[in-house]
Amino acid sequence: MVNLDELKKEAKRVLEDGKVKYVIGYVKSKASNMAAPAFVTDPEEIENLIWDPTCVQNLTKFIVDEKKRKAQQKKPDTRPVAVVSKGCDSRAINVLLQEKYIERDDVFILGVACEDLGVIDEKKLAQKLKGKRFGELTFDDKKNVVATTTDGTVKVPVKEVLAERCVECQANTPLIYDVFLGEEDRRKPDAPFASVEKMESLSNKERGAFWQEQLSKCVRCYACRSTCPMCYCDECVVDTINFAVTPDTTAQEKALRIKWIERASTKSENFGYHLVRAIHLVGRCIDCGECERVCPLDIPIRFLNKKLEKTAKELFDYEPGMDTEKPALVASFKDEDPEEFIR
Amino acid sequence: MAEEFEPKIVAFLCKWCSSAGSDLAGVSRMQYPPNVVPIQVMCSGSVSPLYIFNAFKKGADGVLVSGCHPGDCHYIEGNYYARRRIALVKELLEFVGLEPERFQMSWVSAAEGTKYTEVIKDFVDVLKPLGPQSHLRREQ
Repeated sequence: MVNLDELKKEAKRVLEDGKVKYVIGYVKSKASNMAAPAFVTDPEEIENLIWDPTCVQNLTKFIVDEKKRKAQQKKPDTRPVAVVSKGCDSRAINVLLQEKYIERDDVFILGVACEDLGVIDEKKLAQKLKGKRFGELTFDDKKNVVATTTDGTVKVPVKEVLAERCVECQANTPLIYDVFLGEEDRRKPDAPFASVEKMESLSNKERGAFWQEQLSKCVRCYACRSTCPMCYCDECVVDTINFAVTPDTTAQEKALRIKWIERASTKSENFGYHLVRAIHLVGRCIDCGECERVCPLDIPIRFLNKKLEKTAKELFDYEPGMDTEKPALVASFKDEDPEEFIR
Repeated sequence: MAEEFEPKIVAFLCKWCSSAGSDLAGVSRMQYPPNVVPIQVMCSGSVSPLYIFNAFKKGADGVLVSGCHPGDCHYIEGNYYARRRIALVKELLEFVGLEPERFQMSWVSAAEGTKYTEVIKDFVDVLKPLGPQSHLRREQ
């Protein structure tokens, strides 16, 4: 089990030594029952850090933000930032390192092990409590969630409310770290792609109908893009701002401009957006499940990425974020790549 | 009698092999269905998945990506990258419910005019019973 005091001690040490600029970790949220990300610059505030199964966010996103901020500054502070990192988040850091987006010296990783648990899914918990409002969540022995509801306290085993991605987790222990806390216990899931296989077993028509229904809900708030640590492009194909309209822009230039994906949140445009996002994340998505968690319309976006993760594993024996030395999936090839589908 | 459905096919042909192959079919006066809209690209490896999604969005009933045989790429390895990428796009399109027959890839060299006509003929034959593609098509 991760010793929280140990985590605080390590975080405090690097912060006090001035080795890192700040520590990104989890604190208790004032607005919800789940943890909230926090940026700690004051060693005194390290005391507020927590680590429990409510720490759902993938903090790797903030490393990307930090890099973008640094690019804007004239004299940036080049010290690394410390980040509390779960197994899945460490895979995201691995992908960023593999793509040479960040340097290893840019981050100080406080690796925490999920061991045999993971993080909880708030929606699953709400379902378990049959819609009863719950207050503060505590954990006894880290095996049960103790929720205070209006009808007293209810105990639910953490295993029953684990997020879907944690059930299918392939890296419960960080793969890369500077300080490691907890026990190293690399479990392999029995069926890492069970949810996708269930979808695949449907007929083509049923799947088509499913996605038609799901993707026509999308309002294109781009929350999935904003929360994704891999969506770090400065310009995105769905943004209209990457075409500057000046007084000199002729009507013809405007007319001839290629609009790959329109801003309208109609079904076909939503398909375009989600398909392109899935393709851009192939071989990079490490299944942190953030896109699905933040979706205000509960679109199972994770399936698209998970499906391609499975395909990459089956066809090309490629697992994202596992090896920083390997070339990226779509930037490499092998002579023996399958081509049965090509005529 | 109702008119028979004529599928629209968008074909991305690489400049060095497939496009020359289709030219050969043309100048040799080989007969093949007129359902194809050929688009010349510099290499099959330059075909972005975005092109494919957009072809479907703008009403294509089928999309063909065609390039040089492995080892014959003008840019040495472009078609190897294409092979990987197209395999992934194909899986994805199938997963979201597009009929797998609607998206095909082929290797056609500059000398294979006959093969090009066969690919198109077979593609049209496959698409006819499927009817118009409406899954990814933009609503009118």
